[in-house]
Amino acid sequence: MADVLFSNVRKAFGSFVAVDDLNLSIEQGEFVSLLGPSGCGKTTTLRMLAGLEFPTSGEIRIGDRVVNDVEPGKRDIAMVFQSYALYPHMTVGKNIAYPLKKRGVPRAEREQMVAKAAEMLQLTPLLDRKPRQLSGGQQQRVALGRALVRDPKVFLLDEPLSNLDAKLRGYMRAELVELHARLGRTMVYVTHDQLEAMTMSDRIAIMLDGKLQQFAPPQEVYRAPANRFVAGFIGTPSMNLMDGALRQEGGVWVFEAPGLSLTVDALSDAAQAGPAALGARPEHVTLGAGPLRGVVQVVEQTGHENIVTVRLTDEIRLIGRLPGTQHLRMGETIAVGIDAQACHIFGPGASGTRLNLDELAMSERRAQAAR
Amino acid sequence: MIRRILFNLMAWGIVLAVAFPLFWMLVTSVKPQFELFRRPPTMLPETVTFEHYWRLISQTNFLTYFRNSVVLSLSTTFVVVGIATLGAYSLVRFRYRGRESLAFLVLFTYLLPSVVLIIPLYLMLVSLGLSNTIFSLVIAYTTFALPYALWLLRSFMAGIPEDLESAALVDGASRLGAFKDVILPQLLPGIISTALFTFILSWNEYLYALVLVNSDSARPLTTGVMNMLISSFNIEWSLLMAASVMMSVPLIIVFAFLQSYLTRGFGAGGVKG
Repeated sequence: MADVLFSNVRKAFGSFVAVDDLNLSIEQGEFVSLLGPSGCGKTTTLRMLAGLEFPTSGEIRIGDRVVNDVEPGKRDIAMVFQSYALYPHMTVGKNIAYPLKKRGVPRAEREQMVAKAAEMLQLTPLLDRKPRQLSGGQQQRVALGRALVRDPKVFLLDEPLSNLDAKLRGYMRAELVELHARLGRTMVYVTHDQLEAMTMSDRIAIMLDGKLQQFAPPQEVYRAPANRFVAGFIGTPSMNLMDGALRQEGGVWVFEAPGLSLTVDALSDAAQAGPAALGARPEHVTLGAGPLRGVVQVVEQTGHENIVTVRLTDEIRLIGRLPGTQHLRMGETIAVGIDAQACHIFGPGASGTRLNLDELAMSERRAQAAR
Repeated sequence: MIRRILFNLMAWGIVLAVAFPLFWMLVTSVKPQFELFRRPPTMLPETVTFEHYWRLISQTNFLTYFRNSVVLSLSTTFVVVGIATLGAYSLVRFRYRGRESLAFLVLFTYLLPSVVLIIPLYLMLVSLGLSNTIFSLVIAYTTFALPYALWLLRSFMAGIPEDLESAALVDGASRLGAFKDVILPQLLPGIISTALFTFILSWNEYLYALVLVNSDSARPLTTGVMNMLISSFNIEWSLLMAASVMMSVPLIIVFAFLQSYLTRGFGAGGVKG
């Protein structure tokens, strides 16, 4: 059963449409990330779920209840804010106890629950401190403690890790995943960091300009991006995208760009001759072998691998990966290949739809060919 | 080195210029009558007497005026701070048409010289049947203290992160509950400085008190003391100085207690980033 359901939700601020016709169904116990660049409507979506903004039209459900007109405090949700929003005049203990106090939990029980939450997050020695006496990571844990102390139905997290340094962020990512596994609660997580979304989520909802682009598990988002925007947004280094044209040649599709011609297979019926874009992940670019020639422009060493930018023509640059032990010199001319089977073809425009067949349709077609 | 000496000299010069009249006021108030006009004047009184204070309290209306001033200033402060806090909250947190213009309109009233407003205000108060009461002064002071208070609190309020209130709402507080639990404690330094400003303004106000009130029972200190001790023939210097000292004492007490609040960095650390 869906735990959180958005049906045709739209939110406009004056003439600016922040969220447009959003349909999203989140399962019980799922960890869902809302991912997108700033201004894509992800935070507005979360705030509507929290009850801090009200949808212009459409319906939002939590459990089996329509919550459009329910106050934030009565939605059985807890939220962690990007700024943590700890109450500066209250001690850590009082901060964590506040939601319980507001729900009329008796004092003795309250203290017990706070102690339990504090222990889970290793906050026990800090209970009498004020927020300003804590480090960023500790403040972050207090904010988490305040959210999980009363065991809400849904957790909302608004970029909770963005104010931490890189090392702590990695650590907290693992903590959050573990916490999610332990609590088994639905979590909705807003982030602009695709790495966070990829590593933590059961499913990722990618948004752009208020519109949902794709809602799928991380692997699917990576392997079969719904459109050119998703393809470019997910993955580091990002997918190589080249503009060109599609043309049919004796029943096969050929993608052509200046200095590049590639036979591509298995396009859906939506494919049309004309402008299109080709996408190839860096791991699908072979360096040192292949029909193309290019000049090594940049070599970025990350330790276990080298990320190499190769210039094919003045317009086309490809990024490829090499093991860290394999070196290339800048300015060197090398052979380059693109794995046509693993390429993506997108329709025209900045968010052109992916035209490849999905895996199911592909296997059907293969079976047909075998017969 | 020379710069530091010069700086110190300057600073002490300013301190002396400000403090000497106060010192002289205090000294004069405890000098006996015969020592007042001696030439050359005595810096420190040869004999210290409190007779002027006693006379002021026992033989004049001073205590009535004092009570009026206290009632007047406290009421004005309560009314102004109450309205300004809620008004500032509305101006900062709610989105509605004309919000900005409303804020500027309010400020505009503050820009009008009070002399211009005094006659219409007087006429209005008369037709309301409120003239010659302390209450009329509360209304009058509110009209010119409120705009400034509203703007002062508005900037304080804008400094409180909206997330804090959102967090309280999600945590189960009502809007009013969030206001009380989270906004008010954060706003305390702002409220205290606004209250001080309003209190001092109404404590020291003279013009409106002169025009709007002319019965002894409703007069505040400023006009009361003036009326009682300064006539065209004679100025009762020692009584006047004693009255001035006693008028200053409440302000000094209030300041001594609250100045630490004014400077305390209250909101630091609540919200990172």
